[in-house]
Amino acid sequence: MDQPVRELSYAQAIQEAMAIAMEQDERVFLMGEDIGVYGGAFQVTGDLVERFGADRVIDTPISELGGAGVAVGAAVTGLRPIFEFQFSDFATLAMEQIVNQAAKMRYMLGGAVSVPVVMRFPAGSGTGAAAQHSQSLEAWLGHVPGLKVIQPATPHDAKGMLLAAVADPDPVMIFEHKLLYKMKGPVPEGYYTVPIGKAEIRREGRDLTIVATSIMVHKALEAAKTLEAEGIDVEVVDLRTIRPMDTQTVIDSVKKTSRLLCVYEGVKTLGVGAEVSAAIAESDAFDFLDAPIVRLGGAETPIPYNPELEKATVPQVPDILKAARDLVSGRR
Amino acid sequence: MPTEVILPKVDMDMATGKISRWYVEEGAPVKKGDVLFEIETDKAAMEIDAPASGILRDVTGKEGIDIPVGEPVAWIYAEGEAQDRPVAAVAAPATEEPKREDTKPVQAEPMVQAQPAATAAKGEGARATPLARRLAAEAGLSLDAIAGSGPKGRVTRSDVEAIISAPAGRTEAKAPDAPRRPNGQPSASSQALPTDGAVLNHAWLRQGSGRPIVLLHGFGADLNSWRPLLQAGPVDAPVLALDLPGHGGSGRTVPADLDAIAAQVEATLAALDVGPLLLVGHSFGGAVAAAVASRGIADVRALALIAPAGLGPEINGAFLDGFVRARSEASLVPWLKLLVADEQLLSKPFVNATLAQSADSELRGVQAAIADRFFADGTQTFDIRKQLAGLRIPVRVMFGAGDRIIPSSQAFGLPGEIALHVFAATGHMPQLEQREAVLRILLEMARA
Repeated sequence: MDQPVRELSYAQAIQEAMAIAMEQDERVFLMGEDIGVYGGAFQVTGDLVERFGADRVIDTPISELGGAGVAVGAAVTGLRPIFEFQFSDFATLAMEQIVNQAAKMRYMLGGAVSVPVVMRFPAGSGTGAAAQHSQSLEAWLGHVPGLKVIQPATPHDAKGMLLAAVADPDPVMIFEHKLLYKMKGPVPEGYYTVPIGKAEIRREGRDLTIVATSIMVHKALEAAKTLEAEGIDVEVVDLRTIRPMDTQTVIDSVKKTSRLLCVYEGVKTLGVGAEVSAAIAESDAFDFLDAPIVRLGGAETPIPYNPELEKATVPQVPDILKAARDLVSGRR
Repeated sequence: MPTEVILPKVDMDMATGKISRWYVEEGAPVKKGDVLFEIETDKAAMEIDAPASGILRDVTGKEGIDIPVGEPVAWIYAEGEAQDRPVAAVAAPATEEPKREDTKPVQAEPMVQAQPAATAAKGEGARATPLARRLAAEAGLSLDAIAGSGPKGRVTRSDVEAIISAPAGRTEAKAPDAPRRPNGQPSASSQALPTDGAVLNHAWLRQGSGRPIVLLHGFGADLNSWRPLLQAGPVDAPVLALDLPGHGGSGRTVPADLDAIAAQVEATLAALDVGPLLLVGHSFGGAVAAAVASRGIADVRALALIAPAGLGPEINGAFLDGFVRARSEASLVPWLKLLVADEQLLSKPFVNATLAQSADSELRGVQAAIADRFFADGTQTFDIRKQLAGLRIPVRVMFGAGDRIIPSSQAFGLPGEIALHVFAATGHMPQLEQREAVLRILLEMARA
């Protein structure tokens, strides 16, 4: 069944997914700060309050812990809430509900309940929003068993993975890079899902595997284009899901290319790329490595306000180019 | 400080080795990378490069005696450097100095103390990537014997492959626990032990995806003979090479007929779970390949025959006799020259590799019996034309126009749908002499 495909922005794709979910299932509703009349800090909810009413598109007070608690409770009692954080940084305020309640309740109650809550986190730097509004905290939540953590990189995946998240019986955390919201891409009409826990090969190559997440996928693809002209054939793996991680796809890719570069915006130390590196070093792909594994991650510093410094704290295309050239030419 | 030259480990299970020949004399200048000496194990001969530039001195590793692996055999002094090794000169009186006349293997102790820096560089173990380590182990190569091109001398895949692809005389290492994948996805190089049973010795020479290419070597050769071909360009398909019975590491039996060999090939392919494949055979292996294809037991989807036997009665019987009987370089090289149009292709390592096999009297004895059975009195006693005519898969035949073993004119008169490639100025080994073109044709067939 081929659905017609149009160009939508990443934000529009998410909005469409939420609308479809609410049309299909009356248990689905939205919560978040300023998501009603204002349409959301990044205009992702837009005019959904007019279509579905204030009962299903609910503005919450400025209390992340309270809002998250209501969402988790609603999920436990059988509803399907989608809760938007204004900035992913504010997950820190709601950790009790996310980590101690949502993630554990199914286990602690012997499977008697599940927590089908979806939480959306506008994340990442690049908007000049400084240290408290620019972080990439996906690895924090990726460390918690009981949660599923995803980072869609395209409008297509943003819609399909959100619909998969709504259908999922467990809490799903979606990290959406703020700079992706305006990016356009092909999005099929109607309902479809993109599986959680499955990485996607965005570009096939033989010389080097770049495992990237979220906006870094696009930077890696741009770098791959430049490298192609230099005769370096890069495979780009879009990890898409942090937990549960699809290490098999990475293993297979590394067995083919013998070189691995991990690119992610979160702080490099103890980050997503650290986990990918370790998984490969432990796997049977180890014996296929012909160069050290290299990580490009965020700098070990709070994100600065100064736009030039802000750029310098996260991997950029020239950084990827240099790392890739060094790896393939045997300089590393 | 002079650089120590040690006897490297060139084979996995090698404890001692013999220097068969020094290429540089004591006191002569040597450049880093020059061939310094040739080492001989019971399986292979290999040339060892100089680890540094300078003057070769204190050559203690004498030709023809067993020397433990890792033992110093000589020293290379920088231009103008004092000739005597520090400790040997100062601390050890002349009585302790090992003399060149010593017949026993050299004892290491004076050098070990004298050269802490030089020994440490070697002693800490070669720096190598996991992939290079694995490939070297599978090929039976010592990392110590490989010059690393990576940072800090790290050995990488390309360094190992450069050594493997040189037509050198190593025999395949006998991996005791050959990994086999049930789904037919080959591991990079898996090998069964030489066996008297049905499964032939084999090696995955390349990994990859898509239709596997299976290679059958010619009379008197072994699976290593395909390595130069694969070095001619990137290979994306998995490549499996087999040792025919009575050859390489396979059981030393004299098969009754082509069908018996074909059955062993089929059993090996089945044991390895190799699915739809491109079968390639050279010379005698070409006749075996045709038999396998026509029997329809293995899933052969395309067939490539390089200078195949079995298309006519005539074969160079003098070559077969002389080749099998040759035990020395002097008696072997004239016959090897008949194989190729351009003698330049007979590199020193290639000759040494063949010579190493020739030194194995039992092996050549079995092969003489095989030659008697299949090429009695200089005649090809079997015919594959009927098998070829019955095939309904793509078949290509390649010949060198200047083939002096099997005349290329035998390729004429085949069914019209069989493609024929004839290479000018090429002898009996198009896979060596026209390796780029042959590889291109094979990959094209594998992809089709």
